[in-house]
Amino acid sequence: MSVQTKRRNVLRALLSVAVLAVLAPFSGLARYFYRESASQSQRQKIANVNDLKPGSYVFFSYPRTGDPKIDGDPFRQYILLMTRDGKIRAYSRVCVHLWCLPTYASDRGLLVCPCHGSIYREEDGVAIAGPASLQPYPYNALPMVKLEIDGNGDIYAVGIDGRIGLGREWRNRSPDENVVRV
Amino acid sequence: MSKEYRTFREAIDALIKWTVERLERTPFAAFKFTFPKQYISPFGYLGTLTAIVFLILGVSGAILMFYYTPSIDTAFASVREIQESVPFGFVMRQIHYHASNFMVLLAVFHLYYQYFSGRYKIKNEVLWVTGIILGILTVLEAYTGYNLILNQRAMLAINIGMGLTFSAPVLGPSIAPILMGGGYFDLIVRFYALHVFIIPLLLLLLLTVHIPRALIIDMPMILGVIGAIFVTAGMFPAELGLRFDPTKGSVEVPEWYLTSIYAFLRTGSERFWAGALLPLLFAIFFLIVPFVDKSKKLSWRDRPFFAAMGIASILMIIVTTVWGFYVDFSKLTVFEQLYVEPVIYYSSFGIITLISFFFTYRYLTKPRGRPTPAKPLVLSPRAGTAGVVITLLLVVAFSWLAVLTYLENMPNISMFNMGMSMIMLGLMLHIYRHTASAAAKT
Repeated sequence: MSVQTKRRNVLRALLSVAVLAVLAPFSGLARYFYRESASQSQRQKIANVNDLKPGSYVFFSYPRTGDPKIDGDPFRQYILLMTRDGKIRAYSRVCVHLWCLPTYASDRGLLVCPCHGSIYREEDGVAIAGPASLQPYPYNALPMVKLEIDGNGDIYAVGIDGRIGLGREWRNRSPDENVVRV
Repeated sequence: MSKEYRTFREAIDALIKWTVERLERTPFAAFKFTFPKQYISPFGYLGTLTAIVFLILGVSGAILMFYYTPSIDTAFASVREIQESVPFGFVMRQIHYHASNFMVLLAVFHLYYQYFSGRYKIKNEVLWVTGIILGILTVLEAYTGYNLILNQRAMLAINIGMGLTFSAPVLGPSIAPILMGGGYFDLIVRFYALHVFIIPLLLLLLLTVHIPRALIIDMPMILGVIGAIFVTAGMFPAELGLRFDPTKGSVEVPEWYLTSIYAFLRTGSERFWAGALLPLLFAIFFLIVPFVDKSKKLSWRDRPFFAAMGIASILMIIVTTVWGFYVDFSKLTVFEQLYVEPVIYYSSFGIITLISFFFTYRYLTKPRGRPTPAKPLVLSPRAGTAGVVITLLLVVAFSWLAVLTYLENMPNISMFNMGMSMIMLGLMLHIYRHTASAAAKT
């Protein structure tokens, strides 16, 4: 290899490094396309344990912004419920099949989707019947809201376990892990 | 000193000459426009017709933007306002809706005519591949468009589309949030941006590569197609549907160009595998066909394997599309009504392929004898009588259908009339040029 060719190759390599160095900072621009505020978690009071009795429930939107258009979005709709044996649970209301909003049938202890009849258990949000139950793991369980209950019995939402409208990894994990008493 | 023209005609001719000479400095000079002097088969310029329908979509869509608002609260209400209270809003929306159907349909016909006549050969590979990408983008454009109404049907399509994107391996989980944003309130704005700017821009850019330099502009046929859009709009006007409500279930079927994918999903097979991978095989087949079929033969009769593949794909499109519309109302739950039995469904593909290959090899590709010499073009008084009779019968059948629809309270007789008058104008233009060229011969 002659000296000239070597020199040319070194210059080419330098040029490529320069181009990469100029382009690299732009890769962060991809963040523009994701609304990051939507996935940020906040600590938000929902209800008090003393106001709940077995079989009762509260709908809430999370993270609450105060803008009725955003708070009314189906992807921000959640249900806080007390199961028939007294456990506190909060689930996303978006059915993992086709995104309708299930309601709580407290007499049977089930969440029932009005559109295609998917049925979820109240204690862990796993689908036991209907089209959602036929989807492969982990696309067959409702996402849960991580809860904190303080000394006064106030219930706070602090984050989401799972992906709204998609599912939640629930095997080898107890749903109780998402309810913390502080 | 300005030149003086004796007649008005002379002045106009000079003006046209002046303009054309100056246009020669622009890219326009690269195109060769042909205005045929007699009837030629529209199969050869289906692409031009598709592009003209695309222009109509651009104009009508831009006008619809004056009233449409891409917001989760007001989108449905604004479409209802266009449909029900804005003067001629109904007409604009119907043109836009039915032109989109025509564009997809014409693009499919264009694809298959070019496929069977082997046009992807003879250095046309780039034209062919850009054409396939244009076709996929056309369907995406139509998909984002009909989701903007935010009715129950739109939400079903959004759910399915987003679910498919999410379930795509590797890239899916990072692409889907780009479309979805923070929820439905973001999604509607992003779909709007895609529908009115990003996808049309991509279509136009690809069109600059796809468009051939020789263009046939056949005015009677163009008027016929535009008239047909109006006539269909008059006979089968698009409705609003039910406003999106996630607490109510309803049996909805997507637009006809997506029911085939819907049928795949209803078999209950794994979402991505059924809904995206199998339809993608179709696109991949057409993308690679120019690089596999290297023979010099153009006619489909000389390429039985690819002819059979083409026929099988047409039959599969028809079967899956019709199956997607089928809902078994005898069943109790919505889920059971929509269930498609996967064993029967997937085995039907095998049967279709076997039938197409059998019939193609057995009947359609018989070895031909010596090619018959082209007949000299002599117009005897009786030539074309059969064609005229068949055309008249078709006209009678169509009028009968139209009268029947009218008796059932044809909702938009004015659009039907506008369409029919445009078709008539096209017909008159054709008769005019036919007689003019016949007179020039004698």
